[in-house]
Amino acid sequence: MVANALQPIVRMAATADRTKPIVVPDYCKGCGRCIDACEHHCIEPGRDIDPATGLVPVRIHLEHCTACGLCFDACPEPYGLRPAFFDAEGSERPRVARHDLAGTPTPEPIPDAVAALPPGQPLVIKGVYASAVGAILAGCRHFFGYPITPSTEGAELMARLLPHLDGQFVQAVSEVAAINMMYGAGAAGVRATTFTSSPGFSLMLEGLSYMVGATVPGVVVNVMRGGPGLGNIAPGQSDIKLACRGLGHGDTHAIVLAPSTPQEMLDLTMLAFDLSFKYRNPVIVLADGYVAQMTGRVTLPRTMVRPGVPAWAVAGDEAHRRNLITSIYLSETELEARNERLFAKYARITDAEPRADLFQCDDAELLIVACNTPARMAKGAVRTLRAQGVKAGLFRPLTLWPFPICALAPVLSRARRVVVVEASDGQLEDEMRLAISRADLATPSITSVNRYGGVLPSHDEIVSRVIGVARPHALGATA
Amino acid sequence: MMYTPQDYKSELKPIWCPGCGDYGVVQAIYRALARVGRPPHEIAFVSGIGCSSRIPGYTTTYGFNSVHGRALPIAQGIKIARPELLVLVAGGDGDGFSIGGGHVAHAIRRNVDLTYIVMDNQIYGLTKGQLSPTSPRGLHTVSSPEGSLEDPVNPLLYVLGYGGRFVAQGTPADLTGLTQLIDDGLRYPGFAFINVQSPCVTYGSPDAQLKAHKASMKSLASLGHDEGDRLRAMELAAEYGRSLHTGIFYRDPDPPPAYEALVADRRRAMFDPGATRARVLETFAFR
Repeated sequence: MVANALQPIVRMAATADRTKPIVVPDYCKGCGRCIDACEHHCIEPGRDIDPATGLVPVRIHLEHCTACGLCFDACPEPYGLRPAFFDAEGSERPRVARHDLAGTPTPEPIPDAVAALPPGQPLVIKGVYASAVGAILAGCRHFFGYPITPSTEGAELMARLLPHLDGQFVQAVSEVAAINMMYGAGAAGVRATTFTSSPGFSLMLEGLSYMVGATVPGVVVNVMRGGPGLGNIAPGQSDIKLACRGLGHGDTHAIVLAPSTPQEMLDLTMLAFDLSFKYRNPVIVLADGYVAQMTGRVTLPRTMVRPGVPAWAVAGDEAHRRNLITSIYLSETELEARNERLFAKYARITDAEPRADLFQCDDAELLIVACNTPARMAKGAVRTLRAQGVKAGLFRPLTLWPFPICALAPVLSRARRVVVVEASDGQLEDEMRLAISRADLATPSITSVNRYGGVLPSHDEIVSRVIGVARPHALGATA
Repeated sequence: MMYTPQDYKSELKPIWCPGCGDYGVVQAIYRALARVGRPPHEIAFVSGIGCSSRIPGYTTTYGFNSVHGRALPIAQGIKIARPELLVLVAGGDGDGFSIGGGHVAHAIRRNVDLTYIVMDNQIYGLTKGQLSPTSPRGLHTVSSPEGSLEDPVNPLLYVLGYGGRFVAQGTPADLTGLTQLIDDGLRYPGFAFINVQSPCVTYGSPDAQLKAHKASMKSLASLGHDEGDRLRAMELAAEYGRSLHTGIFYRDPDPPPAYEALVADRRRAMFDPGATRARVLETFAFR
């Protein structure tokens, strides 16, 4: 025994004993260490993706192989490169479990069902509650949120209602977690929503970009408050730029709906779910702190939605096994092609989905453009101005992206002046100017009435500014 | 120069609800700062967002009421930029263990010399009473009307588990003890964590208020706990939520140099004030 222990334990293999390598595609990740190790250039990078593993194994040409074995040493995978005699025996090598998709059926969409609602008295509720009720009537049963004023009451109502409706409310650890829960639920084909306010919306942008990239639906209700930074909890409109032009990284867009009343908080949230699933894209309901907290009369629709399962969903059953949802496209040309498909979708949305509400615009010589709560002050101002003989009208975009330029263009040709009323530093005005420019229309004379930091423009401010614009000489004479 | 607690008290009157535990915490901070005796302009006090994060405003130190959950990264930035400052960090349990929970582990392992005071009230007070990461399972709140389905984070075990080297818990019901803990934390040369059971009088559980603390709190010293014993500290910390232990759970008897001390060493070793232009360019050259 002692003599045996002193024998060399490693015996140099005779050349005839040594064996040439074979690639095990289940395990070779194409790292290329064997390519560098081979003195005879027998190994080259692979070109084909292994369908079972998604890996790109190397390719080996054995004509010049001397069976030196350096490639075995270089391979970091226990089973990536194997001596040929192991393959001959075959049975020892563990195999990646391959799921045979050949027999799986192509998923059939399960369409949404529409159920009738009995007629009832209108509710008198807060805007955020109306939005929560709208989400439920649109078939949303999953809510992921993080408390932030002035949006939290909507989440609280969801926490109360969803357990009774076979749904689930989750208070996430942050807005980052909440939006990624939305990403997961949306990918499963489920209707999910979250309510947040400006600083929380900032945190959600990364996840929103992934959802746009992976074409996952979901509805984000952003109750805008005063910014930047912590700002305050009073109403604002300074996330228009973020929602319309800055949804995270990449060339992203999402339909942005701007409610003005509690009724519209309900109606537009329901619409948001329709559009989100129609286009497989997130939709933003961009409210302000005032309309979200305001109590008003809300009439329920006569129907509600029982959601089905879309064919594309990764629904977690046998039928949907083939579906893949991803935003990663490492090949430049594939990513470009995917982006072109996204842009084609944006173009379809831009053609089909702009919406606006026009109030006394038919003969308007002076057009007020406003959305959210400031549009309500603007509407009052139009009435006051009409009473004073100024032919004013209100153009209220309901979709901020896509901007409803097709509805604006005809009234713009008549109106000589435009006054934009908003609680931000020209973010709505910029959307309008860009739309006018893209449509090759002549830019009208534009004046703005802005308030910031949680202050909304008042009726009187709008009226006095408009009179200044409409009758500069008359006003100058009396001043 | 000697300082008194009054020197650290600002003109601003706190707007916490009457009966809030945070009043006691700020008092303990005034007293501890006076004992440590650094002038207010050599102290930076960083907080996140929440009721308790208003606290820097009530002191005369430099203050930074920062971003929800991000007080620790911001404080690390300050301490690394100005290592000579005494840097305190404060916030609530939501700030520290929900939205900012991921930052705590890295502040611990980086071991920047900060004193992190969490005012743990098991509820979201500023947004009016939702579930917090330390809320007990089953708690009924506006965001968990049928009762919470989640276990709470145990802040003490969390910090100990990530290798925290100074871990303590106090309550404003024992102001003397809390003052001593903050004093010890401020003097500890590295990341020090103090969990303060600071009840919410408005949304908090009625049986977790200061009077209840007074009756139930048990000092670790009275249990004969050896604060150099990390495993025993973890056993005691596991009783979070069932018993109110006050005092130092664990203090590293042989603290390693803090991060900014290591940074200073490396700078001294590598920085060459007499470097020529050629030497600088050589640093960037590929070899």
